[in-house]
Amino acid sequence: MEAEGQVPIRSESDIVEVRRKAREEAGRAGFGITDVTRIVTAASELARNVFLYAGSGVMKWRRLGSDGGDTGLELVFIDEGPGISDTEQAMQPGYSTSGGLGLGLPGARRLLDELEIESVPGGGTRVTGRKWLTRMAARRT
Amino acid sequence: MIEKGISVIKVHDVLMVTMPADPDDSTISALQEKVLDAMERYGARGLVLDISAVDIVDSFFARTLAETTRMVALLGGCTVIAGMRPSVAITTTQLGLSLGGAMTALDVDRALDLVGDTA
Repeated sequence: MEAEGQVPIRSESDIVEVRRKAREEAGRAGFGITDVTRIVTAASELARNVFLYAGSGVMKWRRLGSDGGDTGLELVFIDEGPGISDTEQAMQPGYSTSGGLGLGLPGARRLLDELEIESVPGGGTRVTGRKWLTRMAARRT
Repeated sequence: MIEKGISVIKVHDVLMVTMPADPDDSTISALQEKVLDAMERYGARGLVLDISAVDIVDSFFARTLAETTRMVALLGGCTVIAGMRPSVAITTTQLGLSLGGAMTALDVDRALDLVGDTA
């Protein structure tokens, strides 16, 4: 079983593929149904951002942690699009430059445990999201 | 890519739509037009959207549902969203999504009752 991989985002239908992979890996990582739904929803928002703003990119996923420690799932969305000039503004609910609801990034941050944005105007964007599965939570499920 | 078509069926004077588990964006967009077309063609007075099979509702899906609800209202109809899963309810609320005035029901039976009540 692989601990990491990637899904290309080149068309609208790849957003569905990103969701499918995120669901599969979140399930394998041991998350319960509500957290799986949170992870897949966040992945859908972030994949759509890649497609909408950059046209194409990739989602890289990676299983986090090892035996005895906390485990989790990391999803990294990388594109070479126009970048985000003000990442703080982009995190504000309701802010959108595409006529959308402006809930993608702030929503993904609420649904995951960690969300980091690295972006250079003209140099692409890298959004890293992580969700942790604590050992306590693992015992409950 | 094969587009998974969604059928809009008429039961008495109510339109029924069952959403697939993981619809892509174009399927969701196509639904809007189909529903409005069917509202006019059948003179329907309401729409029941069964989303019990749907795994996730993201902001694009929610925005289209909210828009469709408002458009159906302009045609004199009401919209009931039926069967949302608990995990989807938790997630859409955390995302800050609203469904634009659609009524909701636990299942399709109750949704049909609701449309009947508003007649």
